[in-house]
Amino acid sequence: MRFIDAFVKGLSSIWLSVVLLVLLALLTWLGTLEQVHTGLFEVQKKYFDSLFLIHHVGPVPVPLPGATLVMGVLFVNLILGGILRMRKGVSTIGILITHFGIAFLLVAGFVKAYFAEEGHLTLYEGERSNVFTSYHHWEVAVLEKLPDGQVREVVAPEQLFADAEQGARVVLNSPDVPFQVEVTRFLSNSRVLPKGPMFTPPLPVVDGFFLEALEKEKENESNAAGAYVALLDPRTGKRTEGVLWGLSKQPWTVEVDGRTWGIELRRAQYLMPFVLRMDDFKKEDHARMTMAKSYSSDVTVFEGSTSRPVKIEMNEPLRSQGLVLYQSSWGPQNGRPGDRLFSTLAVVRNPADYYPAFACFVIALGLLVHFGMKLWRHIRAETREAV
Amino acid sequence: MNRGIRYLLTLLAALFAAPVFAQHTHDDGHDHAAHASGPQRTVAWPKEVVELAESLPVQDGGRVKPFYTYAGFTLLRLNGKRSVKTPTGERLTPTEWMLDVLFYPDLANTYEVFSVDDIAAVREFGGPTDGKEKRDRWSYEELFPHVEQLFERARAYSQIDEKQLDTVQRQILTLAHNVDEYIRISRKTAFAQTHLPVGAGDGLTKIFGGREEIRFSELLDKVDALRVLQGELESDPSRAGERDSLNRLLSAAVQVTEGSEALAMFPPTHDAQSAPEWLSPSDVLLQSFAGGGHAHEHVAMMADLERAMDARGDMGELHKSLAGFAGRTKELARARGEYEKIGLELVYYKSKLLDYSHYGFVLGFLLAAFMWLKPRSKWLYRLTTLSAWGAVAAITALIVIRCVIRERPPVSTLYETLLFVTAVGALTALVMETINRRKLALSVAVVLGTLGIFLANKFEELDKRDTMPELVAVLDTNFWLATHVTSITLGYGAGMLAAFLANAYLISRLFGLRKNDPTHLKSLSRMTYGALAFALIFSVVGTILGGIWANDSWGRFWGWDPKENGALLICLSQIAILHLRMGGYLRDFGIAMATAFQGTVIAFSWFGVNLLGVGLHSYGFTSGIAMALWSYYIGQWGLMAICGVHHMIENARHEALTQAERTPDVAPNPRAADGRAS
Repeated sequence: MRFIDAFVKGLSSIWLSVVLLVLLALLTWLGTLEQVHTGLFEVQKKYFDSLFLIHHVGPVPVPLPGATLVMGVLFVNLILGGILRMRKGVSTIGILITHFGIAFLLVAGFVKAYFAEEGHLTLYEGERSNVFTSYHHWEVAVLEKLPDGQVREVVAPEQLFADAEQGARVVLNSPDVPFQVEVTRFLSNSRVLPKGPMFTPPLPVVDGFFLEALEKEKENESNAAGAYVALLDPRTGKRTEGVLWGLSKQPWTVEVDGRTWGIELRRAQYLMPFVLRMDDFKKEDHARMTMAKSYSSDVTVFEGSTSRPVKIEMNEPLRSQGLVLYQSSWGPQNGRPGDRLFSTLAVVRNPADYYPAFACFVIALGLLVHFGMKLWRHIRAETREAV
Repeated sequence: MNRGIRYLLTLLAALFAAPVFAQHTHDDGHDHAAHASGPQRTVAWPKEVVELAESLPVQDGGRVKPFYTYAGFTLLRLNGKRSVKTPTGERLTPTEWMLDVLFYPDLANTYEVFSVDDIAAVREFGGPTDGKEKRDRWSYEELFPHVEQLFERARAYSQIDEKQLDTVQRQILTLAHNVDEYIRISRKTAFAQTHLPVGAGDGLTKIFGGREEIRFSELLDKVDALRVLQGELESDPSRAGERDSLNRLLSAAVQVTEGSEALAMFPPTHDAQSAPEWLSPSDVLLQSFAGGGHAHEHVAMMADLERAMDARGDMGELHKSLAGFAGRTKELARARGEYEKIGLELVYYKSKLLDYSHYGFVLGFLLAAFMWLKPRSKWLYRLTTLSAWGAVAAITALIVIRCVIRERPPVSTLYETLLFVTAVGALTALVMETINRRKLALSVAVVLGTLGIFLANKFEELDKRDTMPELVAVLDTNFWLATHVTSITLGYGAGMLAAFLANAYLISRLFGLRKNDPTHLKSLSRMTYGALAFALIFSVVGTILGGIWANDSWGRFWGWDPKENGALLICLSQIAILHLRMGGYLRDFGIAMATAFQGTVIAFSWFGVNLLGVGLHSYGFTSGIAMALWSYYIGQWGLMAICGVHHMIENARHEALTQAERTPDVAPNPRAADGRAS
């Protein structure tokens, strides 16, 4: 018991808070300087999204805790020491409010990290869609053409078959599909090559083609995943092998059960609860300059039987039904005046979207109460002294 | 559109599309050769002409501003300062200099206005170096024979990644840009100095009443008739000679406006919404031939300038014609709603509020020094207070005027952060002074104000760009500028004030200042804490607001971007200091040390992170800032190191004393806690 007491006491101590704050500052500083040489994605992975890391000061390796670990412990320290075990009274009410706000802000970070879906929606003027596409995640989709002309999809997200990258055999099942899909190998960056007569490729050849594994790109968005799969028909026991590649335009088609199926590996797609039509993209420059004054997309949102026009521009996203759509990019960059343009909207589904604004309000309130009271007491003391 | 006009348009389009440095080849005879001796100005520019010119609206950098502002920053870019000394010893203001460039180009070409930091740059392209210092100025006349080589080098260097360039190469690029800009400005009135040959042909004779030469404005006035004539000539092969004459005339017109697009002085006659871009002479020509027609206001303005040009030598006559031009420009600008702020901007610059504020702080600084020598003198205290409040009032007025001119919150550029931080820091210190009246905060206020305005002026000199520019799309939002940016900058201001107070504490301790007054150090320490708490509120709230803004414009609250990290570092350092104080781990001395260090963290976030990446433009700019930053870092850390050593010696001495007083058999306390001495 005494050990636990001492442990809790240490974990809630103000000394630990200071150590963690200084560590976080150190990591922030190192992670900032590192960005001069390394891309943001790598730096973020190494210093901020990590539990531990090795930082090199010249040739000397220095082990450090990662920012995720530091912030996790800081959160516990804050809850234990800054809220639960803290003296409660009129003089500490401001601090309590502030600590609550900070804890809430950290919660917002964790919620965002684990529950947010991010992607983009790229549409040429005149096009419409109710699906946005991930920048980073892949999925395997089984497509079935229904008699009425519609396509039914059954989808397996990347986390179900990611283990195949390490050589594990993963079998995907669904009650809606009369066969199993076995992923025998998954490559996070690859290209498709035809088998030539003069060499033996390191990976299997299917129908004259094979996948070549490539180094991961610096920008994660530029990777093209690939997978070796096999279809297993449980009734006949028939096994059909195939190759899927993330950038191919057509799905791999097979006949099972007298029906035609398509199978594809693609960027993860998320359904939106509304249809969006890109009506017009506008880029305005400042007069007689090449500096952009504004970017904006005029869109129409179709929800059920109603539709409404919306203007999405810098600093003015569209918020609807848990989704936030931002003006992110446009093209073609070398387009001539009058060309049909496309506009890319970043799409985020973030349950913690409003948490920071709330946290900000709470923290501001807490700090104002705390330091306001201190200032008031100080002024009163000074005036008494002067008298 | 017929062939001739199409040819003309192609020619014009080619001119517009040509990259910098590519246009000015010097083999064509009509270019204003620097050695030709044209009309010379014999009297000083009359005050009324200068004032008239200063108030002319021009469009530059995306906004309409007074000619005064444009001339000032242009000269600052070329010359490194806002004045020119002519070979005859006359000292010219930017407006007078630019009037010379426009009306007396041959005279202006002899002024040494091209400042180069290292003569090696001039040597590299074969420019004249005899009798020049290492850092010197050159005239256009001196550079003219070598301009071709200069542009050739600059073209080559502009292909290289900016980070790979050495200082000499950067200076060549800067000089080439400056010379190019100068040529473009001087081309501005070329059309008004030239007479165009009409050439032979019945149609032409009829249109121009048989005259052999016409002015540019007359050609513009007859564009419709010329278009009709061109149509007729096109279908009549027997009049090939006249067709050639007409084409020669039109080419000449194109040539005299070539390169004039640098500065737009002709407001469109449409409203600002449908035609946001002002026009240069070449734009007016292009538009009227493209079938957009021309406004007779523009024709009249051109004629005004031609008359002004003809009247050189008679300043009264020149003034009259220029007044005609100015009247028409202002009327058009006013109708477009683009003239209201011109007067205020002139007031902003000509009232010299920034200078007066600086004088106020410097005077307060001197008075404060005497105040400490004669601590009993009440009137010295009052004078210092008055001076400091006056200075703060002036800089506040200045910031307010900027807000009104640009219709923006007080801070939207790096330059404005300097003004705002100075105002906030000094004002907060003065408020502290009214609370405790111990002369300490007052003294810190005048030091901070003096230094802040000095830095703002230095920054403007290094940046050499309009300090009220247009903003890129993502920044162009008054809501977030007013909340996030203002809040963060308030945090900078209060945090820097805390660092100043902490340094006052450290220096007082180091030199044993006012040792007899036990409240001296205590009140410095209290004020440091107060400023730090004030700073913390705005740093934290400002940083989170920044995240909320980022969430609204990029879809993420936090992205570990250097500027975000800088803001986080400020928050973390301030939070750590306050917790160390709360937990009793640091006493007054330790807090002063940590708060002084926190000042360098602010400087890192404020300017340091901007130096990490690309994005800041010229070499002189970044190197100047880096120099100032490192001086501050090293000075501050050096002072901290000295104070730390001094503190340890003091503690050891103190301990030895107490030990000697004690009986030897009592064990001394081995742990001398930090800051116990006070």
